[in-house]
Amino acid sequence: MRSPVRRRAGGALVVGALLAGSLAGCGVLPPMPDPVPADIVPSAPADLSPAAGGDALSPDGFDAVERMAVRIRNVGCEELSTGSGFAVDEHTLITNKHVVADSKDLEVSTYDGHDITVGATSTAGLADLAVVRTTDPLPSFPELADADPEPGDPVTVVGYPAGGELTVTEGEVMGTTRDPLNANLGEVLLTNAPVEPGSSGSAALDAKGRVIGVVYAKTADDNSLLVPLSTLQDMLADDTAFTPAKGC
Amino acid sequence: MTEAPVVAAPGPAPAPGQRRSSRWLAVLLVATIAVGAYLWVTTIRWQRNSAEWEEKAHEYAEEVASLRMQLDGANSELEAARDQLSTATARITDLANEKAQLGDENVASQQYLDYQTQVSRAAATVASALGQCVSGQEQLVGYLKDAEQYEAADLRRYERQVNALCAEADDANEALQRELRP
Repeated sequence: MRSPVRRRAGGALVVGALLAGSLAGCGVLPPMPDPVPADIVPSAPADLSPAAGGDALSPDGFDAVERMAVRIRNVGCEELSTGSGFAVDEHTLITNKHVVADSKDLEVSTYDGHDITVGATSTAGLADLAVVRTTDPLPSFPELADADPEPGDPVTVVGYPAGGELTVTEGEVMGTTRDPLNANLGEVLLTNAPVEPGSSGSAALDAKGRVIGVVYAKTADDNSLLVPLSTLQDMLADDTAFTPAKGC
Repeated sequence: MTEAPVVAAPGPAPAPGQRRSSRWLAVLLVATIAVGAYLWVTTIRWQRNSAEWEEKAHEYAEEVASLRMQLDGANSELEAARDQLSTATARITDLANEKAQLGDENVASQQYLDYQTQVSRAAATVASALGQCVSGQEQLVGYLKDAEQYEAADLRRYERQVNALCAEADDANEALQRELRP
């Protein structure tokens, strides 16, 4: 037979355990729900950003590389020739010296057929380069790259081969070589981007659309020769590098 | 009338341990009822809350469906606009090229016209020189028929002049023929 003292102790233990269990249960009781908000739509989607490449859109659907290219018609005293060029600022074109040589009149047109009024033309003595100032503003102009490209770098050429449609061709830089035409001081760039007569003066661009050279000739094995960016920059930085072009 | 005094018979007093147990059980019962009431209220609130969320979810689902339809329509229009833009840019490029080719042809035609004008002028000059040569030779023949009426020295000088004129005309004619040769 159990004693009363032991029974009391047992009962208190059970009650205490139940009370402790109840109090512990209060800790896991579900809270009251928050009221449903009237509007749960965020004011601005957090992870939504403009589509990639949105800033590259042009006002008329043409790429920036197309908008900065120009077609040059050299009306000589006895013959007609065509070449290409590209803008480096709002009123300055770069092309080849042989594109503007023996000219009576230069006629420049843009990618969309607009005629650009030409001002003074000057040619470099030590490279096949020429600078043409324009009276009318040019639609677009690219940046110059930071340095000459390395072999294997991609190259894009934008111009008017054979005086035809505006054409974009691609290739890669093969290396440097001595100028076979002796038209340029120092080495020139050799690429496998296809060019044709009429492409002379075309801009050669890197993968970011920056100028890395100026097309001036085609080799017998269908490679293209570029005046490198460094030569162009040196010439542009030298006030005495360009002299007024002589007409025919 | 007098009431009989009530006398309660004294019963056995509950043991102190039993009283404490009863008190604990009462507290436990109250606590259990309180917890149950809280759970009941909470459940009701959560049910109401869940229904409101479900209603809102249906509203947004309908809105999403509507926006998806609008997005599909906008995408279709965008695709069509892109096609039209592509066609328009290709056409602009074609027109720019056609204009350039026409400009080239116009310049080439003008240069050819200038060349033909120069050739015509040269031909007229040659024809005139040859005509003067023929006239001079005819004149010389006439003089020689009546040679006794003229000084011999004058006749020889005139002959030299006519020969020089004819030689120049002949050279000009040969140059013209060379220019016209394809």
